Amino acid sequence: MIAIIVLGLITFFLFREGAEFFPQNLQNLRLYRKAGLEYVGLMREQTAAHATLNRSLQDLRVRQIMAMLKAGKTQEEAQAALAEFDTYATQFDAAVGDLRSLVSDLTDEVTAIKEKAKIHDDALEQREFLLKEGKKTEADAVKTATVDFKAELAPVLATFPAYTAAVATLKQNLEVVLEKPLTLPVHEYQPRYKHFQNAVRAYLKTFPETEEKLKNWRADAPVPWWRSLTSFLFGTEWITNSFWQDWYGILPLLAGSLLVSIIALLIAVPLGVCAAVYVSELAQPAEAKFIKPYLEFISAIPSVVLGFFGIAVLGEHIRQLTQWHALSWISAFPIAERLNAFTAGALLALMAIPTIFSLSEDALNSIPRHFKEASYALGATRLQTILRVLVPASLSGIVSAVLLGFGRVIGETMVVLLCAGNRIAIPDFTEGIGTVFQPVHTMTGIVAQELGEVANGTLHYRALFMVGLFLFFLALFINWLAQTVVRKYKISIG
Amino acid sequence: MSTSQPLSQEEETAPAQPAAPASPNAVDVENLDFYYGDYHALHGVNLQIPAHKVTAFIGPSGCGKSTLLRCFNRMNDLVPESHIKHGSIKVHGTDINGPNVDPIELRKRVGMVFQKSNPFPKSIYENVVYGLRIQGRNKRAELDEIVERSLRAAALWDEVKDRLHESGVGLSGGQQQRLCIARAIAVEPEIILMDEPCSALDPIATSKVEELIFDLKKSYTIIIVTHNMQQAGRCSDLTAFFYLGRLIEIDRTEKIFTNPTQKQTEDYITGRFG
Repeated sequence: MIAIIVLGLITFFLFREGAEFFPQNLQNLRLYRKAGLEYVGLMREQTAAHATLNRSLQDLRVRQIMAMLKAGKTQEEAQAALAEFDTYATQFDAAVGDLRSLVSDLTDEVTAIKEKAKIHDDALEQREFLLKEGKKTEADAVKTATVDFKAELAPVLATFPAYTAAVATLKQNLEVVLEKPLTLPVHEYQPRYKHFQNAVRAYLKTFPETEEKLKNWRADAPVPWWRSLTSFLFGTEWITNSFWQDWYGILPLLAGSLLVSIIALLIAVPLGVCAAVYVSELAQPAEAKFIKPYLEFISAIPSVVLGFFGIAVLGEHIRQLTQWHALSWISAFPIAERLNAFTAGALLALMAIPTIFSLSEDALNSIPRHFKEASYALGATRLQTILRVLVPASLSGIVSAVLLGFGRVIGETMVVLLCAGNRIAIPDFTEGIGTVFQPVHTMTGIVAQELGEVANGTLHYRALFMVGLFLFFLALFINWLAQTVVRKYKISIG
Repeated sequence: MSTSQPLSQEEETAPAQPAAPASPNAVDVENLDFYYGDYHALHGVNLQIPAHKVTAFIGPSGCGKSTLLRCFNRMNDLVPESHIKHGSIKVHGTDINGPNVDPIELRKRVGMVFQKSNPFPKSIYENVVYGLRIQGRNKRAELDEIVERSLRAAALWDEVKDRLHESGVGLSGGQQQRLCIARAIAVEPEIILMDEPCSALDPIATSKVEELIFDLKKSYTIIIVTHNMQQAGRCSDLTAFFYLGRLIEIDRTEKIFTNPTQKQTEDYITGRFG
């Protein structure tokens, strides 16, 4: 009964703090459009894409130098060999010059508009506050200046011809650069250069689309209310305290949480279930008496201690392990980051094992003894009995044990905060096994990390409560699913 | 002769049986002393069970008849700390506690039906073929044939032929027990041990199982433990009476029920105790 009341109160307060997020975020998104940030944002994306290409070129340069140094050349020789490459890179970088300066100017202008709008809002709020307090004279003294977005934005929109000119130059420059054949001093990297060229071609193809978008952009186009929700649920960026625009998209955090949890379960499920099978079916009573309390003791270790262990011991050792020459055939090795999803996942697995173990063992023990006897009496070995009778018969219990373990893992905070690396980005899933060695940030981690630092009632504060609410419902859903599995697939044992 | 080591079934012994001398008896028990830990459960039991007959074990609860039955397929191996201190058990002339005997192989030759019907939570079909699948026999046509033959032999075919792929747990108690019998005979054992197979069944289901036992004795040696004196009288050829871990008397069933040699047997049968 008390549990239900507490659950109700938690839901109520999370909602009270979090629900305000949506109108505030909507306002935030509307301002993004009204003040022209969206317009300039499209151009910024274009320059940002160029910067990414430029970075990959720099990366290629560093790799080549490394390769040449390894091959026994001196630093000077390596630099000299790259002379042609460097001119190429400079040309590529310079190509975007016009567009970059235009975008930089416009960025200043629109952020200034946004700032004005904010000052205006703050002034309004202050006046209202003073009026409420009954200080009418002071309230009248607060100056407010309404922002005329249309007039403010006119000079920004007027730069469209300048933009088309800048893009034309960029396009021309890039085409010239592309035409130029380039032979890399380190031949094995030639395919990477080909790859780069293709990326540039793809980049050029996006130009007309961007131009079309800019042409059709209207500052007064309405932002529908549901954008507030979708930008939260499907937003791919979580950016706070930005001079430009704050984004509160849960996807990178959700992806991080899921990645860490999946790693944890991949480790914990086989270990936990096998340990349960071993203890309930194979172990001598003395062994079982020894193993059970020790496994269950793991869950008593404070998670901050585990996190400390992860930072000080596990992360470093895993990194050193990946530097072994014998493992260098794995493309992702050696790994760059000590703290990553795998480190956190491995520790979370440790925390999930007791849950999975205890519940699976209960499920196995609840199978009547006569199933086992029937199987043995037909000439089955122990392994056959376990695999063909015991595990299938207790599968619903094992599945629900795994789900509850999942719930335990996804709600865990301290370990992921300390060990997951805390980089807010959707992991790059194209990296194969390297994906699991990327630093990630999680939903629980971000709440713990940022909630202490935000001003009460701000959009950021509300957004964190929304993340909490999301976690809360996720946990409820997982528990519900676990119970449903048990109820629905429980085999009636005659 | 002493083979008292607690054999467990993960022993990797060769399944090959040493060539058994022809014996008219399915089971020979000599001087068997059996212990659960310190508890002396069977005292010097000597017993011959002929092939292709139904032998009933009767006696009050705790007299050791189920223990003896479970010695025949070494199910007692699963009970921790149980062991044979003296004596031997031979099945068709082979000492089943010998060092070269794999209990897994033994249990394929000596099937068992339990007191409580215990079909697996699988389909009827999968229940019957379980013993074959674990031997690695997976050919569909062969399995189909054996399923039909076993279910017919267990007098269950007509009742379940249209729902072979439904759960075996959904059957009635009597049907479940006959399914367990079908499962036991699917692997074609030589001997079928039945541990109070009818104790949980109603009279109609019981009579069906008894008829079945009568049919099965043509092909199998059957040893049945029962508390039901009428049942022993109705369907067995031989009856053995146990009391406090000792075999008191074994003889033809008519003889035991009409003119037992031992006073204890007579007292038990006439209902003076037990």
